[in-house]
Amino acid sequence: MLRDLIEVLISGITNGSVYAIMAAGMTLVYGVTRVFNFAYGSFFTLGGYFAWLFFGLKFNYLLVFVSIIPIMFLVGLSAETFIIRPLRARKDWEILSVMVTLGLALFLDNLYLVIFGPFVKSIPSLFEGYVKIQGFVISIHDIAIVTIAISIMVILMLFLSRSRQGLAMRAVAQDMTGAEIVGIPKDRVFAYTFALSAILVGAGSMLLAPKYFVSPAGGFDILVKSWVITVFGGVGSIRGSLFAAFILGIVEAIVGFTFGLTWTLIAWFVVLLFTLIVRPQGLFGTEA
Amino acid sequence: MLRVEKLDTFYEEFQVLRKVSISINEQELVVLFGPNGHGKSTLLKTICGLLTPVSGSIKYNDVEITKLTTKNIVEMGITYVAEERNLFPQLTVLENLKLGAYNVNARQKEEENLAYVFELFPKLKDRTKQSASTLSGGEARMLAMGRGLMSNAEFLAIDEPSLGLAPNLRIEVLNQISEINQRGVSILLVEQSSPKALDIADRIYLMEEGEIAFQGNKEEALNGNYFKEAFLGM
Repeated sequence: MLRDLIEVLISGITNGSVYAIMAAGMTLVYGVTRVFNFAYGSFFTLGGYFAWLFFGLKFNYLLVFVSIIPIMFLVGLSAETFIIRPLRARKDWEILSVMVTLGLALFLDNLYLVIFGPFVKSIPSLFEGYVKIQGFVISIHDIAIVTIAISIMVILMLFLSRSRQGLAMRAVAQDMTGAEIVGIPKDRVFAYTFALSAILVGAGSMLLAPKYFVSPAGGFDILVKSWVITVFGGVGSIRGSLFAAFILGIVEAIVGFTFGLTWTLIAWFVVLLFTLIVRPQGLFGTEA
Repeated sequence: MLRVEKLDTFYEEFQVLRKVSISINEQELVVLFGPNGHGKSTLLKTICGLLTPVSGSIKYNDVEITKLTTKNIVEMGITYVAEERNLFPQLTVLENLKLGAYNVNARQKEEENLAYVFELFPKLKDRTKQSASTLSGGEARMLAMGRGLMSNAEFLAIDEPSLGLAPNLRIEVLNQISEINQRGVSILLVEQSSPKALDIADRIYLMEEGEIAFQGNKEEALNGNYFKEAFLGM
């Protein structure tokens, strides 16, 4: 019983570490650009499909990772520049951007269906094999996932707190007029934030795909989970996303183990509801 | 140095500025008085690129800046210090100041300007690691001014820096602004009516209902009854 629980915890922590990256991307975008990107899940899937394509071309893991980054960067940058920026001039841009990103999500998800077909694609694991610790079996790939994911989070947090561009992003999130006053190019910051979030979600996709496969419908799950983590952790707070992601990853694993996998999505919605009722600003919410 | 001609700015359908023309010469400290809600902030915001005028022109050193973005205007040497301050609440005092030096011209001078800001506002130096949201009203105004100075501006547009401050602090702020001006920075200052503000000014404008109702220097202001009665309550 204890053994099962520990293995469930390990699974929860592994997923949680990747959820953290993706939630961080979402909280950044919402905090900085004030746009809710409905196509976030579709970007996730796009990352997965590109990874599958590159593995098909016999790229090794490192090369795939390195190739995905500029591609996702361009995807995020283009989406913001060509689809969202033109809307900002209008009074109703908030509603419009929701509709437009939703439309983009539907378009992309169906595009994947047309191009790649309905069957899931798989990606090879980074490492095969297991280690045995105190009688517990842990896959090396899971250890790699947690290590890589946490490293990415650390790099992200250092970027936001130490670099000029990171500081500029936080400034735009906290006071847009103030950011304009000091001469920060708002539009460029919006675009780069979107691009950064696309990279983060693409990296997440690469880390999770070996275990959970790539499919046209997978994006929706990720969108919901990222959003719940963002709200639970506090919109605009990266630290919040970190805590919330691990907590929710573990909760999801426990619920899945205890009640069955079909109940996990409901668990997410329950947490969302609970947060909105009891503490709407989330764990660490203040920044945005 | 700065020449504004016949500026019309609207807020939605409402016309706030009506054919406003003012000018500020190099190293001048020009004060803009006027009742609240009559367009003073709008004028400053239009000059600094936060608002776009419908017609008219703004020239800085003979270069047309009317349609430029705030980023470009800041790079040209004009910085706005807002009445609402617009500080970054969750960032520290030091981070706010560093962001003041975001534009390319300010980056090399960052250390030098930081030293000057701390010299002018020692209270900020004590609070570098405090987050901006925890500052008192007076300290927040100092930070807003300090952040403006970090931009290495040659021209500062300052909007009601003494608003909400106790009388002794108000005098101190205006003295500091005068000192900044002595150092060579041209200033367009929007202020509440006060003898002190009148005292530090080289020239004065009075704005009512979106139009310039009076312009002149101290002597003309004090000698003309209109200004004295309507505004200084003398």
